[in-house]
Amino acid sequence: MLQTLAFGLSIGAIYALMALAIGMIYSTTRILNFCHASIIMVGAMTAYWCIGVYHLPYWVGVLAAIIVNTIINFIIYYTCLKGLGDLLSNVNWIITLFGMSVVLNNVARMVFGANQNPFPYLFNGASITVGDATVLWHEIFTIVFAVVIGVTYQQICQKTKFGRALRAVSFKPQTAKLMGISSNLIIQLCFMLAAVVAAIGGVLIAPTTFASFSMTTTIGLKGYAAALIGGLGDTKGAFVGGFLLGLIECIITLFIPAGLKDAVSFVLMILVIIFLPGGVLSAKIFTHGRSATEKV
Amino acid sequence: MQKSSRTAEALQKKYKVGLYAIWGIVLAFFLTAPMFIGKYYVGFVTLMFLYCILAIGYNIASGFCGVTTFATGALYACGAYVSGILITTYNVPFLAAALIATLAAGLLSFVISLSAYKVSGTYLTLVSYGLLEIVTRIIVEGYAITGGSSGFHVAKWQIFGLTISRNAKYYIILAVMLGCFILQSNIRKSQWGRDFLTLKDDGIAASMLGINVSKTRTIGFLISALMAGVAGALYASYANFIAPESFNFNCSVMILLMVITGGSGTLSGPILGAAIIHFLPQLFNDNADLKQLIYGAMLIILVQVMPKGIIGYVKARFAELEYNLIGEKMSGDKEIDFAKYGNHDQDGPEDILVVEGLTRQYGGLTAVGDLSFKVKKGSIHALIGPNGAGKTTTVNNMTGIDMPTSGKVYLNGTLITGKKSHEIAHLGISRTYQHVRLIKSLSVLDNVVMGTRLARSYGLFDAIFHSKKLKKIDRENYMEAQECLELIGLGDKANEMPQNLSSGQQKLLEICRALVVKPKLLILDEPCAGLTESETEQFSVIMKKIKETGISILFIEHHMSIVMGVSDMITVIDHGVKIAEGVPKDIAENPVVRKAYLGERSV
Repeated sequence: MLQTLAFGLSIGAIYALMALAIGMIYSTTRILNFCHASIIMVGAMTAYWCIGVYHLPYWVGVLAAIIVNTIINFIIYYTCLKGLGDLLSNVNWIITLFGMSVVLNNVARMVFGANQNPFPYLFNGASITVGDATVLWHEIFTIVFAVVIGVTYQQICQKTKFGRALRAVSFKPQTAKLMGISSNLIIQLCFMLAAVVAAIGGVLIAPTTFASFSMTTTIGLKGYAAALIGGLGDTKGAFVGGFLLGLIECIITLFIPAGLKDAVSFVLMILVIIFLPGGVLSAKIFTHGRSATEKV
Repeated sequence: MQKSSRTAEALQKKYKVGLYAIWGIVLAFFLTAPMFIGKYYVGFVTLMFLYCILAIGYNIASGFCGVTTFATGALYACGAYVSGILITTYNVPFLAAALIATLAAGLLSFVISLSAYKVSGTYLTLVSYGLLEIVTRIIVEGYAITGGSSGFHVAKWQIFGLTISRNAKYYIILAVMLGCFILQSNIRKSQWGRDFLTLKDDGIAASMLGINVSKTRTIGFLISALMAGVAGALYASYANFIAPESFNFNCSVMILLMVITGGSGTLSGPILGAAIIHFLPQLFNDNADLKQLIYGAMLIILVQVMPKGIIGYVKARFAELEYNLIGEKMSGDKEIDFAKYGNHDQDGPEDILVVEGLTRQYGGLTAVGDLSFKVKKGSIHALIGPNGAGKTTTVNNMTGIDMPTSGKVYLNGTLITGKKSHEIAHLGISRTYQHVRLIKSLSVLDNVVMGTRLARSYGLFDAIFHSKKLKKIDRENYMEAQECLELIGLGDKANEMPQNLSSGQQKLLEICRALVVKPKLLILDEPCAGLTESETEQFSVIMKKIKETGISILFIEHHMSIVMGVSDMITVIDHGVKIAEGVPKDIAENPVVRKAYLGERSV
């Protein structure tokens, strides 16, 4: 049971990291980065090539993944979003971002091949035994890293000047501009942060899914599911959504075929979208009936 | 105007000949093609027709109703698997199986359209993406019935015991495709098509024009899903083998790309797009990697470089083809006046509108607090107040765009609080907006025609079969819309696009659209903002003329000269609370108003 719990939480942590990165970009641009899954894959594959093929140290792989992801995120920003103008009225970003995700997946298949490559666990797969359960240190550290990243981001948002600027852009981009905040710069910094989080998430998930061009096709949508379940753009919500989804999935696999587990997550996502569009944290019991309606 | 439209008529004739010639040649080619293109290409073109059906369906959901979905693959798969399994496992005849499969796909579309009652935009895209993944998982996991990931063999295609040959398959699918095309075309050219485009462009304007947005969108999705279901059923029997890969995410992306390439929202765009995208991989020997890569790149580039697609681009060059020449056909000497918009229904109470204790709070902020006032039948009533006083909020709460925290609003004695915007529109309120809400996809004339739908409309079947009733009603509606445009002075702009008008003309156009509804109460939200001095003058004359017809007017305005000049009664609010009410003369002299509204020093 403990083993299932640890696995569920570690998968949940990955979902939370995806949701966090999606939320970072959403909070400033009001768009959902539909190629986030592909970016995670590119980061993980870069790390795999450094670590698995060229036998460089682990940290070099992670660093390379971060750099490559950042570059790709900038490319995405300039090729898919910049040209569209106002992203609120021009919803074509949905199409360009999905297009970019198709491009990234196929470039990765051509560059890296179609093999499923094993990826090393942290601490070479060392584990501890608690009672009759064996828990990988990798799983524990995945959870720890995710929480540390989440808390750090939350602190940055609340305590630093950058964080204040970010919240200003997220609240009223036009007004922020008038206040002398370059929303363009803030948005790009958010893309950069999202790229870093994606790279770390990719390295942490790769041992479980194996490193391949299709490693994130299954879990890709889960990131959005976690983000939506927790509430878009909400750091706490990302973790609530991620851990909830991870745990539900692990518990559910005890009862139904593994393949249908994903279907259940998506059903859950659709239900949350329909009944609680603001995420589970927007439910009445959490807000004590305060409504956050915006003026038309 | 006379001259330009006469040229337009000549051009239209010229273009139409060319257009029919192109269509004739294309149709003749595809009707005779199986005789000379060889076995491989007969199959190739048949598949293209199937994609055309899917693309036409997707165009109705996306190009008309304005939702980017990825559910095409799921609906297509639903049609194919239901039909394939019924035919093979349960020996159901093809026609019955295809019918059930089509309905099943229609049923599946409710997952998305019912979500559309609660959420919109990106959320719907995610719901559709989720639906696609769910359907794929179910197909793979239900291998006992569906054959799982290794695929499913479908029995030979037979209709009434006759086995369908390759060429017969070709013609059957071509016929279905042409049917779908005509359906799409008839819907687009009817009031339903205009309704779809309106709700795509502006949901609020659509509901105030009496469109039940969610219901109409559901119908649009349903039509789209039925087409995908038919395509699926045909595909299962055509290919005799179905596997999950044929219906995955890449399939949805391809259909999306077809519509984008050809032109989203156009009629022939989906067909042209399907032909191009289907043929494209032939240029590089169907290399799977390269194919997806190019598709992805095309998605990124096309929506930025050519957002209206090839057909949209071409159509812009031949705009005259779409001109509605009703203005030209109308006899010029007929006297048009405002009287016909008259409201002769003088039943009901003396006050057309009664607002009782209207309150709207946003969290802790009270935008409107306990506001009560009455609008006398047949009067012009002004609602004024400083910026942020809660005027627009009041109007939004009266028209169902926003729901008041408490309070009641009666229109002609009927309680309208809690009713939806489209219901309120049917009860007789029409309005304009502080920031104009015109339908960008429709011409000026079509924008006004949207206002006539409240009085005269017709069912979906009239639209699909282009019935006599439709022709009669559409003609009447267009005549009336053109008359109203002439009346307000925009007669020569009928075939312009609304965004090409000046801001003053846009305001007038919006008033025209609200007037043609023949409302009991006309609400104007800052009608003179952005108007020039002479336009304002012209406008106050129009307002008086509207009043003479018996229509009551409630208007919000900052322009003091017009407020004082035309109003019968003025209500002044500040911070959401009524501070004064009376005839213009009293208000002008009221010290409280002067202090709140004009500032203390100007006294």
